[in-house]
Amino acid sequence: MRDNTLKYLLVLPAIVVVFATAIWPLIESLRLSFTVGRLSRPGSLEQYLGFENYIWAFLYEPAFWNSVWVTTIYTVLTVGLTTVLALGLALLLAPGGRFRSGVQTLLILPFAMSPALIGVSFRFMFNPEFGLFDAVFGVLIPPLADVSWLVDPVLAFAVCVMADVWGWIPFLTLVLIGGLASVPQDTIEAAQVDGASGWRVFRDVTLPQLAPVLAVVIILKSIFSLKTFDQIFMLTNGGPGTATQTLSHYIYFNGMKYGQIGYAASVAWLMVIPMIFLTYAYAKFVFRKE
Amino acid sequence: MAEVILKNLTKQWGDFVAVDGQSLEVSDKEFLVLLGPSGCGKTTTMRMIAGLEEPTEGEIWIGDRMVNDDLPKDRDVAMVFQNYGLYPHMTIFDNIAYPLRVRGTPSSEIEPRVRKAAEQVELTQFLDRRPKALSGGQRQRVALARAIVRTPKVFLMDEPLSNLDAKLRVTMRAELKHLSRELKVTTVYVTHDQIEAMTLADRVAVMKDGVIQQLGSPDEIYNDPANLFVAGFIGSPAMNLINGSIQGGQFVTTGGTQLVPVGGDDRKEVVLGVRADDIRVSEAGQGNIDVPIYAFENTGEATLLTVQWGRQRVIAKGDRYLRKEQDDMIGIALNPEHLYLFDPSTGSRIRT
Repeated sequence: MRDNTLKYLLVLPAIVVVFATAIWPLIESLRLSFTVGRLSRPGSLEQYLGFENYIWAFLYEPAFWNSVWVTTIYTVLTVGLTTVLALGLALLLAPGGRFRSGVQTLLILPFAMSPALIGVSFRFMFNPEFGLFDAVFGVLIPPLADVSWLVDPVLAFAVCVMADVWGWIPFLTLVLIGGLASVPQDTIEAAQVDGASGWRVFRDVTLPQLAPVLAVVIILKSIFSLKTFDQIFMLTNGGPGTATQTLSHYIYFNGMKYGQIGYAASVAWLMVIPMIFLTYAYAKFVFRKE
Repeated sequence: MAEVILKNLTKQWGDFVAVDGQSLEVSDKEFLVLLGPSGCGKTTTMRMIAGLEEPTEGEIWIGDRMVNDDLPKDRDVAMVFQNYGLYPHMTIFDNIAYPLRVRGTPSSEIEPRVRKAAEQVELTQFLDRRPKALSGGQRQRVALARAIVRTPKVFLMDEPLSNLDAKLRVTMRAELKHLSRELKVTTVYVTHDQIEAMTLADRVAVMKDGVIQQLGSPDEIYNDPANLFVAGFIGSPAMNLINGSIQGGQFVTTGGTQLVPVGGDDRKEVVLGVRADDIRVSEAGQGNIDVPIYAFENTGEATLLTVQWGRQRVIAKGDRYLRKEQDDMIGIALNPEHLYLFDPSTGSRIRT
């Protein structure tokens, strides 16, 4: 056997695996997005409609726009809150910060939990009858004593955001602690001696030098927020009504529950668009040249 | 403009004592060098003055104000860091302007003052660049310009030349000296390089194990060392330290070989210190004693002769045109004016 043939033969298994699990499903879903694609109607998976599914989503489906809106707000809120809180925690926990040691180890615990589990546990916590958070919030903020968290559209959404922020803070904090450790200490000390207050040292010296890491954190979290599914599925299942229905939940519902595979595939491909931008930005920051 | 006064300053980390009850007065406009080997507490002392480190005990005064509880920004000091501590995301102009900006200097004043500081360190053509685009020496100048752009009460310099190559260090040293005499601001300068200390300082404080061993002018610490440590630390080549005893006013080496008149009472154990320049080298038979050459080194500007004297080796400085071979016999004579006696157990100087 010639070396050349052997070379291709050796990478063949990997190519087959990638093709079978990533490339083919992608192509197939793109194909399906142009078909009638109803699981209940035999033959409809080969019945092509052109861009009709896409047009349908844009023009005739308020539920689609609702989920776009929910996903956007959800992403903005979770990314913003998680980043700000994680940065604050990182500043406290970083070398030279006020707290340290064992706290860092404890921090990783929430991240070790699967999103589905977080969803289930938060649902329990906010149960109006025996939920711990429900009770605690009721005591701390009396007007919230009698509310049913997961029944009210706004509050249910807030619970989803809370659960997600809670689950993500630890990991992002650890990333930011690493980022802070790479900011040269002497630039910070130089700024202190130069006459900068704590806030100005942070704004003028620490933050600009942390910016690349912060950008990666924000992009990464945006990607994860955009495709959130399991947590919401377990926590509210998109409800009440469609108040917490994110795009991935909407896709799941249309595809798996209503059997509209073609339509679900087209919405999934619409979601690819922002993902491509974010992934590109992420790659640019991570593999940036010095 | 102000003096810096340290009163019983101590810094401890757990059991480790970095600075041990130090008191020191730096007068107004004085250039004081803290000199010592690494780990002697000199940098810690400086960082406490800057406010970057909190003293365990003791007081720090700048001018007529006790600054122990002041933040670094409120102490009105400027510091040059060993690694320069430049802001990598700012241009050189912004780096130099930063101390003015955070102190709310009107922007109309900033531009001329930055230009003036940049001129003083010859950096004007680099103002638009970032620190990364500059060489080590140029970065050092930026750090210097950032310190001199305003007139602080005190300059603090933490081994500012140690990251430069040998040649550049000599040039920068002269520039630093020129600048410091021009600016006339109280300066505390930390270094482990005794030449820097000798050349720059009005006064030198030689530190070891968190304690100042001797405080004096460069002349004093060179010509009149207070103890064995200072004697051995200052000077290049290091001072020869020869073990022996005093018998009838004569110094006798441990090997029992040689005698040099030193005066004083008889003592069983003393260390005789003599600098290489204070040993006169001559042909065999013409000095106090004839010794064989262990190694002959020609440095270009002088010759260094390591000779075997009894069981000890001694370095003598010879004329630049002297040429000898290993194992040649030469005569050496010690200059009786510049001999130092030390007690080997305490290290302290014995004055006769």
